[in-house]
Amino acid sequence: MLRTRELTKRFGAHAAVDGVNVEIRRGTLHAIIGPNGAGKTTLFNLLSGELRPSEGAVEFAGRDVTCFDATTRSQLGIGRSFQRTNVFPKLTVFENVRLAAQTRTGESFALWRSVTELADVSARAERVLDEFGLLGYRSQLASELAGGDQRLLELAITLATDPVLLLLDEPSQGLSPEDARRLIDRIGTLAERYTIVLIEHNVPLVMRLATEITVMNFGRVLAHGTPDEIRANPAVRTAYLGTRGTR
Amino acid sequence: MTRFAVLVAIVALAPLVLRYPELETQILTFGLLAVAFNLLLGEMGFLSFGQATFNGAGAYAAARVLIDAHAALPLALLVGVIAGAITAAAIGALAITGRGVYGVMLTFAFNEMAYYAAFQWRDVTGGDNGLSGVPRPGIFGVSLADPTHYYYFTALVVLLAFAAVLRVNGSPFGAVLRAIRENEDRARAIGYRVRRFKVTAFAISGALSGLAGGLYAGLYRFVPLQAIDLDTSTNIVIAALLGGTGSPYGALLGAAIFTVLSNSLSHVWSHWPLIFGLVFCAVVLFFRGGLWSIAERWSRRAAHA
Repeated sequence: MLRTRELTKRFGAHAAVDGVNVEIRRGTLHAIIGPNGAGKTTLFNLLSGELRPSEGAVEFAGRDVTCFDATTRSQLGIGRSFQRTNVFPKLTVFENVRLAAQTRTGESFALWRSVTELADVSARAERVLDEFGLLGYRSQLASELAGGDQRLLELAITLATDPVLLLLDEPSQGLSPEDARRLIDRIGTLAERYTIVLIEHNVPLVMRLATEITVMNFGRVLAHGTPDEIRANPAVRTAYLGTRGTR
Repeated sequence: MTRFAVLVAIVALAPLVLRYPELETQILTFGLLAVAFNLLLGEMGFLSFGQATFNGAGAYAAARVLIDAHAALPLALLVGVIAGAITAAAIGALAITGRGVYGVMLTFAFNEMAYYAAFQWRDVTGGDNGLSGVPRPGIFGVSLADPTHYYYFTALVVLLAFAAVLRVNGSPFGAVLRAIRENEDRARAIGYRVRRFKVTAFAISGALSGLAGGLYAGLYRFVPLQAIDLDTSTNIVIAALLGGTGSPYGALLGAAIFTVLSNSLSHVWSHWPLIFGLVFCAVVLFFRGGLWSIAERWSRRAAHA
């Protein structure tokens, strides 16, 4: 579904992503792990169109999307959630999600209709909120939500755009262990319906959820395989799991 | 809806209470400018310091077709609307390439350019003498020569424009503008072409400002160079912030207070802007939502009591 070829991003002399080839297959939950500074988020920014690569190409659904910006890639079905909570703070929870659902209509330049007349959009927003257990907060401002609920809202916004591929950048970051578990469970159920690429630091969780894992280090792919293969890989053990795998 | 009904009632009854139809007409045209400004700041989060550019474009264009072509008043106003919209779309498209304060400075710079263009282009604008001899034709056989008649004509046009703004704010388009205000990057990431929305918002704001300019030209049968100068742009910003950017009603309220104070205080004391400056500072420092938010809080308290 998504494939990169020799994808490279240089900032000055430093290559944050260096000749990366990954393939995300339909229906998989593909985790990307690696130490801080390994280039995971930069890779995400290249996949979502936030950044343009210095070299290499990104293909999505058989199409070269390297030159497409983030807006176009979102319209093609690449949905992305952000490492730092990225919502519309002074709009209500419902408005946040409705705006995301509205992007998939041709009605956003309608000046003379009332936004409440877009019944499908509202229905979709409600369905997504309900799925995330946020329907009770629909009239609250996004900024008033607790941290864990804001992370859920962040995901809900991404899902309301009706993507086919989800890029989730450390969705559990900054959450209490309990909230993190709740969120990861949610991602587990999403994986039944979506193709997901997940950056996550919590390695035991990743090992449990992911169907495929790519390990990055110094901007390069260190290893790729199933969780069992990664666990057994000696290079990964020394570079990464060795220090953290005992947890 | 009830608020709009109250507004209509106030506008309809104003000339019976205060017998200064010219001042009241000016409140409405200036109010429309503040509402147009507020569409950009209050809804989209863009501080435009060049709104007089669009007002001036509309005023000169409408005045020109009234003078040269003896056009009917609705046609002249339509020309003003189009002139304002095109000017604003062009300037907006360039200004939004600058982020944050740079965008503000660009609207400022374009206003200054427009001012000097109007100053130099005497054949069209009359330069610093202003453009005089603008006719004020009647409409559908009704003479508008009487100031009160012209007031009611202006009131009808401004209220229709105001209702259109309320409608746009409540539309899917208005919702996207607020998304851009709250988090432009995220709006882009979920698939909105932010640039197109911004330029469209500028065009709408410019259309309303051009309409106000055309009405103003008809009011004084004259377009002073002041219609396009930076002071006017600044006054629009001040009036809208004073009233509050949370609602177009706030912008209208601020414009009304600003116009009344500047007209009455300037007769009493020539240094009146000093007092006004203090009031403005107090509002910005202590009542962020402007006077309208105070009024809203009172009405909510009254509703609970």
